[in-house]
Amino acid sequence: MDFQPLLLTFKLATITSLILLVVSLPIAYWLAFAKFKGRGVVEAIIGMPLVLPPSVIGFYLLLAFSPSYWFGNFIESIFGLRLVFSFSGLVIASVLYSLPFMVYPIRAGLQSLPASLREASYTLGKNEWDTFFKVLLPNCKPALLTAFVLTFAHTVGEFGVVLMIGGNIPGVTKVASVAIYNEVEALNYPAANQYAMVLFAVTFLILLVVYSVNNSLLRVRQSS
Amino acid sequence: MRWLSLLLFLFFAGCDKPSDKIIIATAANVQYVMKEIQQEFEKESGKKIQIVVGSSGKLTTQIREGAPFDVFVSADVKYPQEIFEKGGGAEKPKVYALGTLVLWSKDIAENDLTTDVLTTEKVKKIAVPNPKVAPYGEAAIQVLAAKNLLKTIEKKLVYGESIAQTAQYITSGSAEAGFNALSIVLSDEMKGKGHYVIIDSTLYKPIQQAAILLKHSDDSPKKAGSEAFYQFLYSQKAKAIFRKYGYK
Amino acid sequence: MEVSLGLGAGSILALTGPSGAGKTTLLRQIAGLAKPEFGRITFKNSIWLDTEKTLNLPTQQRNIGFVFQDYALFPNMSVRENLAFALSKNDNTEIVDELLAETELTQLASRRPFQLSGGQQQRVALTRALVRKPDLLLLDEPFTALDYQMRYQLQNLLLRFQQHYHFTAILVTHDMGEIFRLAQKVAVMENGKLVNVGSPAEVFLGKATPESQFDIYGEVLSVEKQNDGLLVHVLINHKISILNLPLEMLDQLSPGKKFLLQHNLGAPDIRLFDAD
Repeated sequence: MDFQPLLLTFKLATITSLILLVVSLPIAYWLAFAKFKGRGVVEAIIGMPLVLPPSVIGFYLLLAFSPSYWFGNFIESIFGLRLVFSFSGLVIASVLYSLPFMVYPIRAGLQSLPASLREASYTLGKNEWDTFFKVLLPNCKPALLTAFVLTFAHTVGEFGVVLMIGGNIPGVTKVASVAIYNEVEALNYPAANQYAMVLFAVTFLILLVVYSVNNSLLRVRQSS
Repeated sequence: MRWLSLLLFLFFAGCDKPSDKIIIATAANVQYVMKEIQQEFEKESGKKIQIVVGSSGKLTTQIREGAPFDVFVSADVKYPQEIFEKGGGAEKPKVYALGTLVLWSKDIAENDLTTDVLTTEKVKKIAVPNPKVAPYGEAAIQVLAAKNLLKTIEKKLVYGESIAQTAQYITSGSAEAGFNALSIVLSDEMKGKGHYVIIDSTLYKPIQQAAILLKHSDDSPKKAGSEAFYQFLYSQKAKAIFRKYGYK
Repeated sequence: MEVSLGLGAGSILALTGPSGAGKTTLLRQIAGLAKPEFGRITFKNSIWLDTEKTLNLPTQQRNIGFVFQDYALFPNMSVRENLAFALSKNDNTEIVDELLAETELTQLASRRPFQLSGGQQQRVALTRALVRKPDLLLLDEPFTALDYQMRYQLQNLLLRFQQHYHFTAILVTHDMGEIFRLAQKVAVMENGKLVNVGSPAEVFLGKATPESQFDIYGEVLSVEKQNDGLLVHVLINHKISILNLPLEMLDQLSPGKKFLLQHNLGAPDIRLFDAD
């Protein structure tokens, strides 16, 4: 079996999840606590990947990344980088596509904390930054873990978007889900089965670990 | 009570009984031609047919799993042959047309559009249908190998999942150039989008496109109609339509 | 809300009134956790809030301590870490050990909040609020959730701290005993307005008249005929007692019925006891 598509999949999922973690923290914080008009609009935009078919996102990204259109042209002329058919392009697409899977659990985790924790920190002279990183985040670890793993798993399972903008290049954009699809197309079922089994087993293991860890975290909290 | 019966009526009306309509499983690259062939056939025979489009590989898988298709119009010989060997066909597959490979680009003009331009800086990405599953992709690789270009431009190749997606890569400008089927370039949907040149057909093995009449039980109501369509596919009338779309 | 209130430095003010009167809101506005539509808050020589000048000092700069009803201890930190969290970068850490020793929390210093009892948690919360040596300590019904003994101990602790650190304190409470024990001044709020301000004695004792009668409320548990009277079991002050009542009351008495017993106070027998 060719392990390259699997390795590529996990590399993509890891990088995407790490980037999303950094990007989503301020967004989740902002959505959880900021008071502003037009919140519905922002939430709707972030939630779009949940409901839009991946082919829609893939189609628009294909156009956006193409050097014939202004965004792709801009990136190519400034950075000399072509996003379509590249690993960086896949990372950007995955970040957009998995955004709600990171933002929503973190936001829910933050909102489930009693408001008095945040306020107590303020009355102890701490600014929002310290309050966020030293009080709020450490107390919603289960939510962070859930968010990270959902994002990771969602990126592993990504197919439609990659198919649209990836170009199926071995070692660059040919991830496991696409490899499975190709093998099925070529009527090579044993190979498809091998990839599928690995994905199946790995995702099951990841989710198993997460739920076990989360349950034990909750048990410690409730054991008082 | 009356409301209930009306509701039940609507419910059952929505659930069609197994249709008598003949279903033609059609490879993506023939889909535009098939529309015209369908019109001709329906006019001539008075029978209605339905067209299902997919990649040859996917359709083959579906047929093997018992999809209710009557005729399979494939993009190559390999897939119908596979079905025939597994006992799914009424008779051996037959070639209905030969495909023509073109080099296609959104921005590069016909005069400059040769296989040599692919090695230049102008072309950063070259779109090719996935050679593992698409006969036009296989042919494109044969052409590049024959011209001794494969090694130099291998890094530029990107693979479309189907002939249609490859066309999308080319017409959106994501790839500066690419290989495709003449039938796609000449279709109403793609006409006038960019520039193309026909590739010397001696550089690749003929792209034989075959169809197969799928097995029916003797008492199947669709048997006669399916046979009629299968015959029509090889008629002079159909051949003329195929030629119009760049097939030989 | 309409409130105008001055408070002498170094004293304790009790804020009381029915729930929904706006006591907690007022406390949060003083802390800067909530913003009033209009108003001015000054403390010593600094202006904390002046809506006319659109001035609103953030909570962090108001040098206050705040004790929450739900303790608001940080679950991810030990007792010591909870206290140390209040320190600024250049602060001397000795104050933490000093306070731990003073409140007998040294033994519990490495425990997490969920490993402590409610009383211990509130002791930590009160102590934590003093790490920054605030000028003003705000307490939002801090001892309501605790039993009588715990409450008494924590009230003592608060008094001790106040004598030691000389902060000014505002305490939201419903507990009349607490008001008299702790506060030099009491403010009664109703529907967002101050209705009465003064010393606890002025506010509450002025209206009191010497009484020879006590009202005792009770609930009927069971009724039994006995001879020519009724033997009635009743619940008074969480205790079951027996009353002998005349037979003609039979129709009016049934289990669950509430009653008022007026009792003459002839020669009161008073026994004092200590909570600790």
